[in-house]
Amino acid sequence: MSEDRSTAESLRSTRTYGQVRCMNPSCMGRITPDPGAPKAKCPRCGSEWRIFWVKPGFPRVKGPVWETSQKLAQEKWAAIQAQAQQKKEEN
Amino acid sequence: MALDRKVAIVNLSTGKIDIKPISLEVRKKFLGGRGLAAYLLYKYVKPGCDPMGPDNAVIFSAGILGGTLASAGSRTDVMCKNPLTGLLGSGNMGGFFAPELRFAGFDHIVVLGKAPKPVYIWVNDGVVEIRDAKNLWGKSVTEAQWAVREELGDPDIKCAVCGPAAEKGVRYANVMTGIKNSNGRGGGGSVMGSKNLKMVAARGTMDIKIAHPMEALEFDKRYIEQITSAKVNQTMGALGTPFIWGATNSWGGLRTNNFQYNQLLYCDEIEPESIDEWSKKSVGEYNMTACFGCQVHCRAKYKIPDTPLARKFGVVGNYDEGPEYTSQGAFCCEPGCTRLDTLLICNHLVDQYGVDNLEIGHMIAWAMELYEEGILTNKDTGGLELRFGNDEALIEMIHQICNRSTPLGNILAEGGIRAAEKIGKNSIKYLVHVKGMGNLHSDERATPGLALNIAVASRGSDHLRSRPAIDLYHLPVDVLRKIYSSPVPYDGPLSSDHTEYIGKPWQVYWHENCYMAVDCLGTCKYHTTFLGATLPNFEDWSKVLYYNTGLEMSPKDIWDVAERCNIVERLFNIREGMKKDDPYKGEILVDRYFNEPARRGAPDVVGKTIDRQKFIEMRAEFYKYRGCDEDGVPKPETLKRLGLENIDKEPSLV
Amino acid sequence: MEPKVLVINHEKCTGCRRCELVCSVYHEGVSNPSKARIKVEKWEWEGLYIPMTCRQCIDAPCMNVCPVKAIYRNEEEGRVHVDHDICIGCRSCVAVCPFGAMNFNPSEKRVFKCDLCSGEPQCVRFCDMKAVDFVTPSKESLIKKRNAAKKIADAKKLATTMSYEA
Ligand code: SF4
Ligand code: SF4
Ligand code: SF4
Ligand SMILES: [Zn+2]
Repeated sequence: MSEDRSTAESLRSTRTYGQVRCMNPSCMGRITPDPGAPKAKCPRCGSEWRIFWVKPGFPRVKGPVWETSQKLAQEKWAAIQAQAQQKKEEN
Repeated sequence: MALDRKVAIVNLSTGKIDIKPISLEVRKKFLGGRGLAAYLLYKYVKPGCDPMGPDNAVIFSAGILGGTLASAGSRTDVMCKNPLTGLLGSGNMGGFFAPELRFAGFDHIVVLGKAPKPVYIWVNDGVVEIRDAKNLWGKSVTEAQWAVREELGDPDIKCAVCGPAAEKGVRYANVMTGIKNSNGRGGGGSVMGSKNLKMVAARGTMDIKIAHPMEALEFDKRYIEQITSAKVNQTMGALGTPFIWGATNSWGGLRTNNFQYNQLLYCDEIEPESIDEWSKKSVGEYNMTACFGCQVHCRAKYKIPDTPLARKFGVVGNYDEGPEYTSQGAFCCEPGCTRLDTLLICNHLVDQYGVDNLEIGHMIAWAMELYEEGILTNKDTGGLELRFGNDEALIEMIHQICNRSTPLGNILAEGGIRAAEKIGKNSIKYLVHVKGMGNLHSDERATPGLALNIAVASRGSDHLRSRPAIDLYHLPVDVLRKIYSSPVPYDGPLSSDHTEYIGKPWQVYWHENCYMAVDCLGTCKYHTTFLGATLPNFEDWSKVLYYNTGLEMSPKDIWDVAERCNIVERLFNIREGMKKDDPYKGEILVDRYFNEPARRGAPDVVGKTIDRQKFIEMRAEFYKYRGCDEDGVPKPETLKRLGLENIDKEPSLV
Repeated sequence: MEPKVLVINHEKCTGCRRCELVCSVYHEGVSNPSKARIKVEKWEWEGLYIPMTCRQCIDAPCMNVCPVKAIYRNEEEGRVHVDHDICIGCRSCVAVCPFGAMNFNPSEKRVFKCDLCSGEPQCVRFCDMKAVDFVTPSKESLIKKRNAAKKIADAKKLATTMSYEA
């Protein structure tokens, strides 16, 4: 019976442990936090995350590091506003 | 046999009870659970009826795998015409009611008419009775359950019960079972209240014969392992569903301050880990509890801490379960509150009143925005400072709505669209809903696939009908391809990027069938391709179904059942007035999704809105897969293919 | 070798009742908790669930009371056994069991109890919490000692943190 594995069962090999994904949607890079570390920074996009260890070897993102995430969000918002302003002026 | 359970048609106006078998033909067409319930609803509800009147039906259903070895065969579906939306009302709860109903010999209890005075229905080993509920009426959700056990002298009775909110006629009252298992979103409790029906109580000792017991046990072991070994379920088993809320808030996918923002900031106190810490402190190290036959155990237990707020409302030390992610949504991000005691208190109150947490939180958050915009004033609120982040006002409003004890509470108990009509002054512009049902706590501005899901969900804005949640994991296209080309081929586009629009219609369509199938089986969504990409679906169910019931259904056969049942729900909605672009009864998002950009969250979320044109195109593509014309109406050939062409004319198959 | 016994740690129990389910399927081929040899007693309003089953007593009351000596102890497997060829169905054992672990099946008119699934207890196999476990009695007391000691240590911490720091 173990031979006829369903699609879902065959996909089990794609599971990864010990890593979290960056929560920035179009980044989603894999981050490997140092064992037990309370924070981790995404090497790809610079977002910074607070880490909780469900159990040893099993990290999860608890939430953003608020200061970093606030700063990045505000910068992005300002850039969007500036762009919109520029567009307005061009028209 | 797992297939020999019956249907009871109970007319509360006449007192007549009909017991009917479910033929094999009907099983193969609808399986059971939500699917067969949709058919019964279509046949037994008078078209165009007043949902709070005697012509509505409320249907309690167990799935075909309820009470069997299948992992978590625990779910109860309750269906009716929803008093909130006037369209399909359907909820789903875990706990222990559905298995007990099956041990008592029944899969579906269809309740019609209206009792002249409060009654309850007692289902025991093949016998159904209508009994006087004078000792139960007026009692809270839990008190009523303990009281019926006392009355009938059996501590193992399981109940599907409504609470005081339903008795008072709140239009979004739940059916509940146990401490907190909630059949929400469907208005089933409200319909029970309107029929003077306090509960269905069940107790049974009848066999459910397992077709191939030893093979079933062996396969089950493997099936459960597949489920419990997934990371998502291990996290859920440790932190419960709050982890979903936490993950979504991390990137900015939660509606905050009604819909002004998309992330609740500095909310460490109500993050999953903090809830877990308090839960363990208050009940001990092993703090999780489970539904029938479930090894994931996603529900925490807790006692309310001794705080000034808890003291003020008289709930210090009260025991409850949860809170679920929906309560974090309803009582944290939507009203902009960040306190743990507030969350635990509100969660407890809605469990006791038997009211939908998402809807009441959404109504209060909306009222808060109206208050801050000056549309509601102190005159309307009786002096209550209904501002975002006012914890006390939030708790106070829950009481006022559930008791309909103040003018504003009374208005908000009617639901968003009716309330907006009464309040006027453009208040409707602030209401975030689909088909008249308040959006859950998620904010889909950055996720077009999820936005399409809430727009087309059959019971109104909702994530549990077709959400392609794994879309958020950035899975490689070849993995997506594997999942989404089974059990029917798909070679159209797919994208790993969840801010994209392509490929999403097929995903929503696929998940709509997947979740319908789960609801027909009567098992839990956390045990399928909802939050984890490697969890069981059609192929695996084909085996579970065979070993447990003996029914031979290929994965494609199960898919076809799901298609059929989804079409029946759609036909019901169309019959009751759904039109795709109707702002109140349509499959469209409110303007705020298209016009107001998201301002918080991860950098790539900031600035996002839904593109209206692309959204309309996605919806059209979805209709095509669903076998519908451009208005979302099923085509004649679709009905023919699914054997539904005579659904209006044929006498009910059950 | 010291025979193993079922050990129940009710604090770990999530109340899922899978143990009841697999027990009845394994023995009767049906899902029916009323035919299971194990039953989870619940006090839902405090979140307390206690799985109850036969303790395979050394000086078993059921064995002592049985008028036709249908009940005996299999020392090797460490279990109390009912011989249905001898049993007359008087239900004296049901009446006398202090744990309610001897049951009566009214349709088949015979008593039934936990038989440890002939050495491979299904309830243990399926209970993911291991709230029911299968260990030797001496191991059981060692585990108990350690857990009890931990509780004493924890009690102090708990007492000082019970009220929530708002
Ligand atoms: S299987 Fe385990 S956790 Fe579930 S009820 Fe039985 S003893 Fe408790
Ligand atoms: S049946 Fe009752 S008396 Fe007999 S051994 Fe078991 S628990 Fe003891
Ligand atoms: S050991 Fe076997 S017979 Fe005894 S309770 Fe467990 S499953 Fe039932
Ligand atoms: Zn990143």
